[in-house]
Amino acid sequence: MKKVKLFFIAILLLCLGTNSSAQYIDSDTLQSRYRVTATTFGIGLQSSLDTYLSPIEYKGPELSIARETIRKTRFNRNITVQNFFRINAAYLNKDSRISYSGLANWNYGMHYNFNILPELKILAGGLTDMNGGFVYNPKNSNNPASAKAFIDLDLSAMAIYKFKIRNYHMTARYQANIPVAGVMFAPEFGASYYEMFYLGHTDGIVNFTSFHNHFSIRQMLTLDFPCRYVLFRMGYYWEMQQSHLKHIKSHTYSHSFMIGFVRNIKLIRDKHGKHLPANINPF
Amino acid sequence: MKGRHTLLYIIASILVCIIPSSCIKEENFENTPEGNFELLWKIIDEKYCFFSEKEVDWNEVHERYSKRITPDMPSHALFEVLGEMLAELKDGHVNLYAAHDVASYRKWFEDYPANFNDSINELYLGKTGEYMTAAGLKYKIFKENIGYIRYESFSSGIGDGNISEVLAYLALCDGLIIDVRNNGGGSLDYAHKLAARFTEKDVLTSYIQHKTGPGHNDFSEYYPVWLKKSDYIRWQKPVIVLTNRHSFSATNDFVNTMKLLPNVTIMGDRTGGGSGLPFSAELLNSWTVRFSASPTSDVSKKSIESGIDPDIRVDMTQEDIQKNKDTIIEEAIKLLKQ
Repeated sequence: MKKVKLFFIAILLLCLGTNSSAQYIDSDTLQSRYRVTATTFGIGLQSSLDTYLSPIEYKGPELSIARETIRKTRFNRNITVQNFFRINAAYLNKDSRISYSGLANWNYGMHYNFNILPELKILAGGLTDMNGGFVYNPKNSNNPASAKAFIDLDLSAMAIYKFKIRNYHMTARYQANIPVAGVMFAPEFGASYYEMFYLGHTDGIVNFTSFHNHFSIRQMLTLDFPCRYVLFRMGYYWEMQQSHLKHIKSHTYSHSFMIGFVRNIKLIRDKHGKHLPANINPF
Repeated sequence: MKGRHTLLYIIASILVCIIPSSCIKEENFENTPEGNFELLWKIIDEKYCFFSEKEVDWNEVHERYSKRITPDMPSHALFEVLGEMLAELKDGHVNLYAAHDVASYRKWFEDYPANFNDSINELYLGKTGEYMTAAGLKYKIFKENIGYIRYESFSSGIGDGNISEVLAYLALCDGLIIDVRNNGGGSLDYAHKLAARFTEKDVLTSYIQHKTGPGHNDFSEYYPVWLKKSDYIRWQKPVIVLTNRHSFSATNDFVNTMKLLPNVTIMGDRTGGGSGLPFSAELLNSWTVRFSASPTSDVSKKSIESGIDPDIRVDMTQEDIQKNKDTIIEEAIKLLKQ
């Protein structure tokens, strides 16, 4: 029960912002110095619909890059902080119908770790999920693009399984994030960007979203494996972003194969600005 | 331990129950003549803004034209039928674009006197060197000491610097003619930029609405559109704006604005209208349809979709045309010299 309480404390801290965590810092405890960072590059396929532009679906290749950092918090070894940034761009050109899309997504949040088995742990928590992007249809006149801007609070769950093949240590991870509530920019059904941003008629462009009008999910399956001295990450990323606001339907379904590398980092902190010992200081 | 399992159970339940349901998708059409016909009809049905004003029964149009669509009809024949269907809207802002052609409704100017003649206009402008060009503006001073600006298209960009240079050059003239005949429109931004030089205060010029849903009468409230006076050189002397039936879209908006300003007279023929801000959408066969989406009304909230009457109606006479004279320009010069 205590762990459940800590999980909700993690969510609360996430909502209140990082300043609140200051009161829990008793010392520069060791676990927060260690972090796992990963940079991955993705290639995949995207399907995109935005009825503000055209009531048809566009499909095409997608490229992406993602950067992730996970560390434990200073105040509790069972709570981890995840910082995940991904940017993707797609050239949707199937059947000679052309559209372009791009989205930058930043997730920041905490998970409580449930250590089920020595090699398996389940993480559950919450994330702030910030997104900005566009869909551009070069053939359209006064509605050539649709801006994407939304912030969500996500429920997030992760399973991490560590195993060995011969002497090689592997880590498999599955993660799913589902937005629970948020706000999203959406124009009125037939309102032009000229009217909104040139004439300044911006009433009602910020909308509350939840499952009923913005059911979305991001899922990620990754495998970290060593190859000589490098730790590689291979993965599959599936994203379903949807919204139905002001009679405008939009969705982006994206499937990406990701490959990249992982680094385990230990941070050296010194609040007093003391120099590193000369024999190891590269600067 | 119990709490841990409860929490995991809740999260797993959410994932299992919600994921398979609720994909947000649009009605699916096949890329066939029928599919593209239905898609085009639906786009216009939901997004076009002048059904009530033009008294078009769009369901009846569907009934009539769907009979002409066959699965094996060639692309050119489909284009012809769809073009005819769109012409039922009698709207110059409604077009169908394909790689081989553009379907347009052109009766809004073809059924009326041209009131403009390119060759004669070139005689008034003179040869190269006798007039100047500042971005989209051609200008000169007539021998009667009247300034003349020809703006052929609001798609040709103009900046504040261009307008200031033109007005400074014409500053000593007794009056100014702005000729927007045959100007089929373009950017509302340029139209406002130019009009802002002829007012000493901010002016409410029109109202704009947009559709709030797919119903034919789902409209927003009227949002005011203000013309803000320019901070650069402003023209204080009399101005005559020349119009004809081919003054359309952004030009119609420009005329609507200028008509409200104190030193401005509109002369020539009624404008062509086109007060709906056009949107576009693509069909499955990659043809694009353009249509009026947001209606603009004048300050009394009256539609200007069918055009704006001039303050002084003048037509080009055959007699003048034969003498290579532009009746409308001549009348404007005469009025400004009075």
